Amino acid sequence: MNCGEGIDTRLIEELFINLDPIQAGGRLSADAMKAVLAYGDGYSVCDNCEKPFRLDCIKKPPLARFHDELAKFLNMDIARLVPGARRGFQAVADTVVGKGDPVLLTAFSHYTEFLSVEQAGGVPHEVPANDANIITADAVASRIEEVTRSAGKTPALLYVEEVDYQYGNLHPVQDIARVAHQYDIPVLCNGAYTIGIMPVDGKDIGADFLVGSGHKSMAAPAPSGVLATTSEWADTLFRTTQVKGDITGRTFGVKEVEMMGCTLMGVTSMGMMASFPHVRERVKQYDQHLSRCNRIVDALCSIEGTQVMSEYPRKHPLTRMNTTGSFDKAAKTNKKKGFFLISALRERGITGIIAGSTKVWKFNPYGITEEQARYVADMFLEIAREEGLPVKSG
Amino acid sequence: MSRRAAEAVFQGLFLLSDIRGILRETAPLHQLSAEQKANTAKSLEKLEKQISILREELVS
Repeated sequence: MNCGEGIDTRLIEELFINLDPIQAGGRLSADAMKAVLAYGDGYSVCDNCEKPFRLDCIKKPPLARFHDELAKFLNMDIARLVPGARRGFQAVADTVVGKGDPVLLTAFSHYTEFLSVEQAGGVPHEVPANDANIITADAVASRIEEVTRSAGKTPALLYVEEVDYQYGNLHPVQDIARVAHQYDIPVLCNGAYTIGIMPVDGKDIGADFLVGSGHKSMAAPAPSGVLATTSEWADTLFRTTQVKGDITGRTFGVKEVEMMGCTLMGVTSMGMMASFPHVRERVKQYDQHLSRCNRIVDALCSIEGTQVMSEYPRKHPLTRMNTTGSFDKAAKTNKKKGFFLISALRERGITGIIAGSTKVWKFNPYGITEEQARYVADMFLEIAREEGLPVKSG
Repeated sequence: MSRRAAEAVFQGLFLLSDIRGILRETAPLHQLSAEQKANTAKSLEKLEKQISILREELVS
């Protein structure tokens, strides 16, 4: 079934339980689907744009209120919509990082965090993870000392991921921010995997800048995200244009330089806003989502030779597994080789694990129901038994 | 201008979106609970009403 010439209709979410590690939190709510239908046209939110002509000031649809509510939701002073978390990193780096400035990132920083430093002319330095794949405040303190000695100045910015994309581990951002602030280093907390998934309190964790992803974790269309900051940084980060055309004399009102004026002018902001009430509710039920994840992890770990590589019990549903001693052994004798696992899962209506992976792979069951979690756990065990892998009873 | 027809189109699409949501919640077996069945039945009933409006407004 096509939805346009040569464009297949995507039915993945309707036909399968999708465990894709980056797709789970971005699945649209039914209200977001409705908003997408009604606001799909290009500049659809601009029908009632009035002075001062800026996205965050539009009252109908209620984008101005949405911006205020987003800031409150994150316990920050001000928030802006951005086209993906990466554009938030870019705006912050461009504001606080100068040419040649050292910048601290972590062993788990996303490539777009690095690119934002590169674009601003900064020099990236990584904070290593410990043996448990956690970034500690002590490691941050050591790196600040080392980098300050070698660069001759303190880092201009510290990026820290609240939950990382490799292990889905929860890092002690509050402790890390406290250390950074002792050296007067502003902290950008990357909440791409947490904002919209679990409760996040920006001021409590000490974030100067808080960045989230709409399409990764806020049940919104791509590209969407949020950039929030404190009143201390608001005027700098969201500074308005001062430029003037030298022939025409034109000026550009209150457009914000780092936002390039307006950001999400249609379906993305509307999808994000329509999902927001659901997102606000679902973070309150985070424990239920975690318990569903732990149910699946427990089932997997009952298959002999299987290990969970992420911290356990899970504090976030994005999880890295090692099945070298179980499913990978089965792959050696199965005629489908490494593709047997995804094939067996798809036959059972489950998808989202990288095709061909039977050693180390990630999954994310966020947002599935209790019944679906039970089903996924049962199906992993069924596949293991079918392959003759020993399963511990329990 | 038929505002009634335009609204019926969107109302119909929204009702179908609710059903789409139920497909997602119950994938892959699509075994609906009693409550989900009742909600789906209600959506379908309302959808038929919207289709009737469209017939009245646009083709009769």
